[in-house]
Amino acid sequence: MTAGGGPGATAAAAGASRPPPVRPRPGRLRLVRLHAVSRRVPAAATAIAACAVGLRIALAAGSWDSYGALQLPLVFEAGAAAAIAITAASPLGEPERVAGRWLPFLRLATALALTVAAVAAMAAAGTGADLAGGALDVLRNVAGMTGLGLLCAAALGGGLAWIGPVGYLVAGAYALYTQWHGPALTTPWLWPARPPHDPGAAICAGLVFALGLAVITVRGARDPAGE
Amino acid sequence: MTAGAAAASRPVPARPGRWPAAGRLLRLELRHNAMLWLLPVAAALFWLTTYRKVMAMPPLWNLRALAMQPGALLAFVWPVAGAAAWAGSREGRRHTTDLVAIAARPRWVRLLAAWAATTCWAMVGYLGCVAVLYGVTARQAAWGGPLWWPAAVAAASLPALSALGFAAGTLVPGRFTAPLAAVGAFFALALSTQLIHGSQSYWQISPVVSGPWDAGSDPGVATFYPYLPDLPIAQVMFLAGLTVAVLGALALPGGRGGTWLRRPAAAITAAGLLAAGTAVALAGTGRLDAHGMIVIPALHDAASDRPVSYTPVCSHTRVPVCLNPAYAGYLPATVAALTPVLTEVAGLPGAPARVSQAAATYRQGAGNSVSIGLAGPAISGSPPVFRLLLLDQLPGPTMTTSALSAALRSSAGPAIVGDVIGGGRSPSPAQRAVIAGLLIAAGQPVHGPPPGSPPAGREPRMAPPVLAPGSPVYAAARRLAALPASARHAWLLRHLAALRAGRVALAQLP
Repeated sequence: MTAGGGPGATAAAAGASRPPPVRPRPGRLRLVRLHAVSRRVPAAATAIAACAVGLRIALAAGSWDSYGALQLPLVFEAGAAAAIAITAASPLGEPERVAGRWLPFLRLATALALTVAAVAAMAAAGTGADLAGGALDVLRNVAGMTGLGLLCAAALGGGLAWIGPVGYLVAGAYALYTQWHGPALTTPWLWPARPPHDPGAAICAGLVFALGLAVITVRGARDPAGE
Repeated sequence: MTAGAAAASRPVPARPGRWPAAGRLLRLELRHNAMLWLLPVAAALFWLTTYRKVMAMPPLWNLRALAMQPGALLAFVWPVAGAAAWAGSREGRRHTTDLVAIAARPRWVRLLAAWAATTCWAMVGYLGCVAVLYGVTARQAAWGGPLWWPAAVAAASLPALSALGFAAGTLVPGRFTAPLAAVGAFFALALSTQLIHGSQSYWQISPVVSGPWDAGSDPGVATFYPYLPDLPIAQVMFLAGLTVAVLGALALPGGRGGTWLRRPAAAITAAGLLAAGTAVALAGTGRLDAHGMIVIPALHDAASDRPVSYTPVCSHTRVPVCLNPAYAGYLPATVAALTPVLTEVAGLPGAPARVSQAAATYRQGAGNSVSIGLAGPAISGSPPVFRLLLLDQLPGPTMTTSALSAALRSSAGPAIVGDVIGGGRSPSPAQRAVIAGLLIAAGQPVHGPPPGSPPAGREPRMAPPVLAPGSPVYAAARRLAALPASARHAWLLRHLAALRAGRVALAQLP
């Protein structure tokens, strides 16, 4: 083919084997994309979407009794919060900390963006259905449990960050249960058992979220490389 | 220098004989297992959700053990499932699957060691929590002994949950598997009970079920009749079958050195599934018996239907009040509540010569509703014995001693007087006035239930009378109550037969 063809044919063959030209991407956008991929943000977003879909299906499918109706959203909110907390894990460890100037901002942006996405997805899942507590409850619970997860990520490592939200899920579900079978747990630190408009519960959840966000922004998750 | 470096890098030879290889593997897994770090969280949740609640209950073994089973399970379900999934996904997560595939041990043995380590730590934590709870109860309980079946069901759940979580981690290794397994296990266990409808539901196989669902904590169960292990046996069978099936299935993918395992693993999996399926089918044949427990005919021992023999604890009052020794702590309050009324009717024909605590009778209603009450007449026998159903034998919130005393005064008091005076559910005006007069004389209100009395419907037969002040019946009752006790007693002795027959008019009352 090369012999029989002219120089144009050779050039065409060479052109076919050459990788397609990469359109130059702005450096910052590439950094954000690489950070998101390294933190498994797409997987976390998928998990959040799955939680929202699960909540929607459960709300639509079942005729839940009083316990179930209140505890059901909390289960999915805890799942979403756990997914967000897991994204704090870094696969690179120390080298990334040394080299990454923008790392704190990227960590903050990732956690915030995923939390907003989780709240929006859960609230959307409850639209038109009998979602106990409404969107305000979702906001408070997701934010608070995400804060717990981020704190766990800083203390135990990103891989085990789910311990915070999932453990708190049991405590919160029990606090809801005590509303029927006293003595009722009324501390605002168990915010899922408080009404959506309760300022004390909102402050507690907000404090935990802010603290978790601050710690994860400044320190990042405690992760051994290779995990 | 070189020799020293070579010596330093040389592996330390394993000491032969001290630990077999499988033991060494397990020891390594135990030292690096995530469940160890989750134990404090699980113990804290056990304290919050179970220990506090159970310790607020009266020190009755049946009540505390039955409440402990679901509580402990819900505190341990998520850490066990999550930690097991975390351990199961380790090789995939760390990309060491190929590296460990060349190890001398078959893949199944390595996986079993990791599963066993998770289960061991979970069991240590759980047994520690149960030991504390049972230890404290043993010091407080007046009678009876620990119920081991509820503890066994929760204990059997841990290997099953661990196996399920581990299998999830092995199949889908990733960071998200552990939280998914933890949340999924909690969701499945906590909300599976939504599907229970009646005592013949297959879903009773769920290990969080320790009795008729939705009946709540019921102190009346397993006090007068033995605790029936029918449902717990089916649950343990299900959990053991599930554990065996899942662990057997882990060997099916094979791998290097594991080919010879496939056939026995398939047989083990099939046997486990068979056992689990049989247990579910057995649970579906259950029914609520008259003593408040689930009977499964194929597993039932007829000897368990005989009442428990006990020596009642009795008061040394004119009319003795006798309770089951498990309720000995309630005796002073019961005596204090009933003595004024018993004094008013003492010596009258048909008046109780003794008050004796009786067992409650249970009947399955529509759905999950259970009606609980006293079978037969309240007063029976010769000499007459008033059969008392303590309000703390019935499902509902635990009552304080003073609340129980107030509730007894307003429920058992009218029942005792009503049974002596007669009239049943529709007494004549004279009978109503005499009943109310005697109650007023005993210091009881007749305008309605006092504060702290049990909610309506808890024992409808014992509803206190309600009289409107100013009504003729109320006025007659006040007149009777104002008489000296001896005069009142003498009038009753003379006219009780006629009063019971409904031949005394309101105007004939003194």
